[in-house]
Amino acid sequence: MTGDAVWYEAAQVVGITNALNVAADALDVVGAVEEATAPPETQTLFAEIRDFYQCATVPAGFRCIAHDAAYAADVWAAARHAFADHRLPRRLKEALAFAVSLTSRSAFGTRFHLGEMRRLGVGDRGVMEVLGVAQMFSSYTKIADTLQLEPDMGHIAPVDPSPAPS
Amino acid sequence: MPTVRLRAAVEYPPSAQKAFELSSAWFNHAFEVPPAMSRVMAWDPGFGSPHGRAMKRATAPGEFTRAEKEMVAAVVSGVNACEY
Repeated sequence: MTGDAVWYEAAQVVGITNALNVAADALDVVGAVEEATAPPETQTLFAEIRDFYQCATVPAGFRCIAHDAAYAADVWAAARHAFADHRLPRRLKEALAFAVSLTSRSAFGTRFHLGEMRRLGVGDRGVMEVLGVAQMFSSYTKIADTLQLEPDMGHIAPVDPSPAPS
Repeated sequence: MPTVRLRAAVEYPPSAQKAFELSSAWFNHAFEVPPAMSRVMAWDPGFGSPHGRAMKRATAPGEFTRAEKEMVAAVVSGVNACEY
């Protein structure tokens, strides 16, 4: 996990996961766009999303924001890019999203990304591994915050001297 | 500034010195001073020892590599807005 590029990818996953969870957890109050009665451009968008996730139903976060089709298309483009295989494999990205959802207490995100992890081949042991890491570091972070510890380990990671992508 | 006075490594008993050495081995880094969290966890071995063992079990290689798990740990820390 050396080099900054993988961390940029991870940060994208964290950000867009949180964004989609925020919308999904608002579904009850905002309401979902029904695919059958949606405008053609939204139906096309939903078909892309179902294909990416290999699912019958479009995930709640996208159904929630699809009231504005152009906005939903941009969010989807960002999400698809973030979760696609690049330097980090999609399997790991779903594990990161699962940990983010657990930690931020998103019921939707936890269920959804658990399902994605399993679909991408993560077994019971792997799920428990991610749960364990999320749990233990939720403990460490609160201990550190309670005692207001100052960062003292950042220097052990090597600095990436490469330039920004052209 | 920390809520407590973080004790210097030399203030800890020999059993804690061993834990500090294990910490350096775990991170594969020769710390000039044991990290603050290591010293915090060494304060009360009744808590710190099993907590540390659980952390090592959780982050040991399995279906996910240790590097992958460190990344999971980093995002959890980020979501928890933990600067440390």
